[in-house]
Amino acid sequence: MSEVLLQQIERLAADAKTKSTQLHKGETMIEIEQSQLKNFITRLVNQIKIRHLSTITGLDLGQNIGIIYHFWRDRNTIHLKTFVPKTKPTTVSIVDIIPGAILYEMEIHDMLGVMFVGNPWMDKKLLLPDNWPDDLPPPLLKNVKPADIRKRLGLEVEKK
Amino acid sequence: MTEDKPPRKEESAGLMKYSAENLVPFGPIHPALKEPEYFKLVLEGEKIVEVIPRIGYVHRGLEKAAESRPWVQNMYMFERTCGICSFVHSLTYGQAVEGLTIYEIPRRAKFIRTIIAELERIHSHLLWVGLMGHWAGFETLFMWVWRDREVVLDLVEAISGNRIHKSMNAFCGVRRDMPEGMEDRIVERMKFLVDRANYYKGIVDTEETMLERTEDIGRVSAETAEKLCAVGPMARYVGLRRDIRLNDPYAAYDEVPFDIVTSKEGDVHALLKLRLDEMIVAANMVSYAVKHLPEGPIRIKIPPVIPAGEHSSHSEAPRGEIFYYVKSSGGRTPDRVKSRQPTMANLPTALEILKGQTIADVPVVLTAIDPCFGCMDRMSFLDIESNRQWTWSGEELRRYGINYYFPERMKMR
Repeated sequence: MSEVLLQQIERLAADAKTKSTQLHKGETMIEIEQSQLKNFITRLVNQIKIRHLSTITGLDLGQNIGIIYHFWRDRNTIHLKTFVPKTKPTTVSIVDIIPGAILYEMEIHDMLGVMFVGNPWMDKKLLLPDNWPDDLPPPLLKNVKPADIRKRLGLEVEKK
Repeated sequence: MTEDKPPRKEESAGLMKYSAENLVPFGPIHPALKEPEYFKLVLEGEKIVEVIPRIGYVHRGLEKAAESRPWVQNMYMFERTCGICSFVHSLTYGQAVEGLTIYEIPRRAKFIRTIIAELERIHSHLLWVGLMGHWAGFETLFMWVWRDREVVLDLVEAISGNRIHKSMNAFCGVRRDMPEGMEDRIVERMKFLVDRANYYKGIVDTEETMLERTEDIGRVSAETAEKLCAVGPMARYVGLRRDIRLNDPYAAYDEVPFDIVTSKEGDVHALLKLRLDEMIVAANMVSYAVKHLPEGPIRIKIPPVIPAGEHSSHSEAPRGEIFYYVKSSGGRTPDRVKSRQPTMANLPTALEILKGQTIADVPVVLTAIDPCFGCMDRMSFLDIESNRQWTWSGEELRRYGINYYFPERMKMR
């Protein structure tokens, strides 16, 4: 990671009352509060000109669900990590800043049940089948077993 | 050429008499092709005003499956994500995992990875150019290009033993060495492919069918493409210099000289030429890498347990950036693997391009972005007002598109 960029990122992180840590060469991880997220990304896009969002990853971390936004420019990768509690999985959408994030947010909504407030397509399914029962938990959570899903959807073939 | 053509609306009046907004469900399934997708097209007359995507018909839950499989087994599972750009998936997943270990990849392995990745790029681009010819109504191009594609597949088979799923990668190296005495054959075949690519460039520049169907179609501005996070040729054809091989070199891309191709025109015709140019660049890279292949080991064996940590890796597939994120808790299986394919990243841009196009251009535009064409084999049309409904197969849609542009040709058949 170039020195100048690193300093800029550190300054941004300090403004958001958090710290940046170096994961590997050229890779920075920043853990950030949900309330600071939009402000941080706006400044990342407008001031530092890191405009390309690779994707958004959702992680099941036990009590919380982790959401990581992966940005890169040249040889620098920035992971922006935020947490939402499993009891109330709601966070803000960044579609108004980065319109390209719309499908990534839909994917996490399908797979981990996180609601992104502000995403216009949150009521639609992207990956899950149309006959997915509403009371079935999102499939990528750790406690969900593929066999249970198959059984519930009537796809399990009984062994004789 | 454009002057003596009747206005589009009157020309199609006999085929589609609509007054209000129409909804056109587009897709979703064809079992033989790689990725069925489904688009809900909202029409105003002939024009598309809104597109709503629905994917996941072949969602196989790879990310969930990866959590219960050993690290190395996942490499060959992720290779089977795609039937065209298979190698680059295992490469990127491998790089993400290798980043968590302390081992250095041998230089010879890096070169072999580069050679296979570039051969795969040539293969993918050739396949695409052929399909473009097919959907535009120029079958001869399709036949020629797919014949030349066999040249690449034969080489890949000679090197790896397989045509599509090469299974060449291993953690910190490759599984098979380059066969002895292949150098001259590869260089000679690459020269042949460069000649063919130059010839096709001449064709797409002069042949009326291709010009008519591709020029000025599928335009998008550079700002929009950047905002929508477009990757690969979809970013480069509007002038963005976005290529992971150059921006963030992996494998041996920092040792093999090359320059990326960009275009300013920003239509499907520019995309055609851009992909043919990229093929030439890739063929030259393969020749260079084969001639300068370093000696040494091709692989380091690593233990099956990967140290705890998080790492991500990205690389340039034929269609654009592929992204993998892995999280390990120090066990024999990963904690989480996230994989993002270029079509997913390019889909928002594709939807933006489709807006304002006509139905006749849908096959060309959708093929241009190189997602998947499976969706085009079954389309059903629904007129909301009269509740009239009908279905077109992919072939009927193709004929409709050709008839729209060249009515006299269809009469002759």
